[in-house]
Amino acid sequence: MARLVALNSELHRNIRIDTASIERQGASLRMVPVMPSEFLKLAIDYPIVLTKNAETGRFICVALFGFAEGENLYWDDGRWQSLYTPMNIIRQPFFVGTDENGQPLLCIDEDSPCVRRDSGEELFDNEGRGSPYLERMQGVLGQLLDGEKQGADLVRCLQELELITPMRLEVTFASGASQRMEGLYTVDEEKLRALAGEPLQQLNTNGQLAHIYTMLTSLGHIYSLIERKNARDAAVAEA
Amino acid sequence: MNEQTNKPTKSVTVVGGGTAGWIVAGRIAAMHSHGDDGVQVTLIEAPGIPTVGVGEGTWPTMRKTLRKLGISESDFLRECDATFKQGARFTGWATGDAEDFYYHPLVLPQGFLKMDLAPYWQRSLKPQGQSFSNAVCYQEQLCEWGLAPKQMTTPEYASVANYAYHLDAGKFAEFLQRHCTQNLGVRHLRDEVLSVNTADNGDITSLNTRNSGELPGDLFVDCSGFSSRLLGGHYQVPFIDRSDVLFIDRALAVQVPYENPDDPIACHTISTAGDAGWIWDIGLTRRRGVGYVYSSGHTTGEQAHQRLRDYVGPGIEKLSVREIPIHSGHREKFWVNNCVAVGLSAGFLEPLEASALVLVELSAEMIAEQLPAHRDVMDITARRFNETFRYRWDRIVDFLKLHYLLSRREDSTFWRDNRDPASVPDSLRELLALWRYRPPGDCDFTSNNEVFPAASYQYVLYGMGFETDVEGMAHRLREEQAAAEHFASNRKATERALAALPEHRELLERIHQYGLQAI
Repeated sequence: MARLVALNSELHRNIRIDTASIERQGASLRMVPVMPSEFLKLAIDYPIVLTKNAETGRFICVALFGFAEGENLYWDDGRWQSLYTPMNIIRQPFFVGTDENGQPLLCIDEDSPCVRRDSGEELFDNEGRGSPYLERMQGVLGQLLDGEKQGADLVRCLQELELITPMRLEVTFASGASQRMEGLYTVDEEKLRALAGEPLQQLNTNGQLAHIYTMLTSLGHIYSLIERKNARDAAVAEA
Repeated sequence: MNEQTNKPTKSVTVVGGGTAGWIVAGRIAAMHSHGDDGVQVTLIEAPGIPTVGVGEGTWPTMRKTLRKLGISESDFLRECDATFKQGARFTGWATGDAEDFYYHPLVLPQGFLKMDLAPYWQRSLKPQGQSFSNAVCYQEQLCEWGLAPKQMTTPEYASVANYAYHLDAGKFAEFLQRHCTQNLGVRHLRDEVLSVNTADNGDITSLNTRNSGELPGDLFVDCSGFSSRLLGGHYQVPFIDRSDVLFIDRALAVQVPYENPDDPIACHTISTAGDAGWIWDIGLTRRRGVGYVYSSGHTTGEQAHQRLRDYVGPGIEKLSVREIPIHSGHREKFWVNNCVAVGLSAGFLEPLEASALVLVELSAEMIAEQLPAHRDVMDITARRFNETFRYRWDRIVDFLKLHYLLSRREDSTFWRDNRDPASVPDSLRELLALWRYRPPGDCDFTSNNEVFPAASYQYVLYGMGFETDVEGMAHRLREEQAAAEHFASNRKATERALAALPEHRELLERIHQYGLQAI
């Protein structure tokens, strides 16, 4: 269980972060929320799709890592096998909470296996000043916070233009097993192509059109995901 | 052809602004009011006449009705204090003992379209004390645990477990009114109908109103409630009394606030048998609706009030209890000339199994979908409509009677009189005779106009403890293995549903806050 507490230069003076084990924390995630500002980097490796937040039912953008619940095909052989790791993975074990005034607050999961006492990156120096590592992580968390808003803007645009459509996807693997993908959504290409005039121009001007096409292009990685799955199945079969 | 018979249907006038009036007006407008040559729908409503507002339980059909009206489910849930309904729990109906209850859920029995599990249940699981509903369906458990039939990620109107609604009828009528006038182009007149003008063939040509002059129309829909202003009043269509079968003739209704605003909300109708009738209990978001429906021939008004007080508790002293007469029955015909009645003006039965709103929806659907293009074909539509709805009223009367007929209660004349063969329709008696040797099946319900499927009869029959002697059909029961698999599937489905579905009030609060997605 995660135990989130506000980061404190006194309480957490002696804590160190084992950065080598951060990516391992995402080893059994099937997907992770992503933000438009990282779409281009994500599109090198991952399918970017929409799904619904289980708590609110609202659409969010996610990078897809696998087919079955708990399956991450990018985590293999003890390491994250891709050129770019999504920010929501590398920000571990930090989270953005809110203080009593609703202001964002940097929190840490004290129960995270990345939190150590013996070795790893320091968070604070002896005077309680933040380390360069902590500053870098604060930057990442700041980007995630902005990214959440950008993502919400993108979703709002898509919804106003009724461009979101359920993905109907049934995948058959080399092993012969097949899996129906539920709860994933993408952009309706036909409706997108039919856009014209003012709405289209606005999408272009506010930069959302680029994000939309990046999402659509990234869907090709469903095939690389199938390849990864076949390779893993084959490896399991051999073992 | 004269002027009256070759007229196209271009204007529909609805009389009455309760839920019935607005559902009919909305369904016709949503389908026919587009474009310049569409149909103009006008609803005239006498100001200051309160709606009866007893229809607070629906069928799953309401999801389709709302969707066809172009309504967002989230808006509907928020504005009508509506909640999800997954069937009904009947308490004390079979024997009246302390542990006597059964469910009529809305999810069909496991594998229902492939095979009939009832005889297999009766042979293998019933002797182990497993109820029919629990053996073949997971929904009773959802109700018992107070869980909702869907998740936040489930789109509007889609379900994990089939569901209907409970709603505030007054708020629902206002909600429909706003939607119909603002989004569907229904013209709304607050005025009183004074008299009716007719043509030589008996058709209504127009209504004289107090302030708006003469209101013409090609089709008139009578949604005027118990007064049945056009069908009963103007056309004098006789009323067929069904109180010889269904004895309930009074309702005492009360709105009960929750003790705490976050008290759990029941996700099903609770129907508790009393000595001269039964008590309904439905949970809305901000209050419960509770009422005792009873037979005044079997108890006194004072005893009935006491029965309701016993159920609600001492808090009832501060609440206002409304008395509503119930004349069980319906008109002999529902569509005469160019006038059709929908809702209470067509008929009314006790609220058992929530038949009032579903009949409104079915009527509105048939009128909208089969709206005669010209007057010269209207009589054909009228005849079909009358046949269809006479059949449906008869089936509903049968199904309601079934609930009483199967009771083994001996504690009052009400329950004993209900088993008097003279009070049982022949159609029901025949079915029950057949079901002594085999379970109800689709072969018993072959019309396109059925209202209750065979599954509903099974739930009530076996919930009430009816015995079908399946040994006579033992030679046919050779699918033991498939049946066992279906029973196992149901156990798995029950586990999955219990793990995945949120608590009812929690889901409603989230929907109020975030709304459900349309897709």
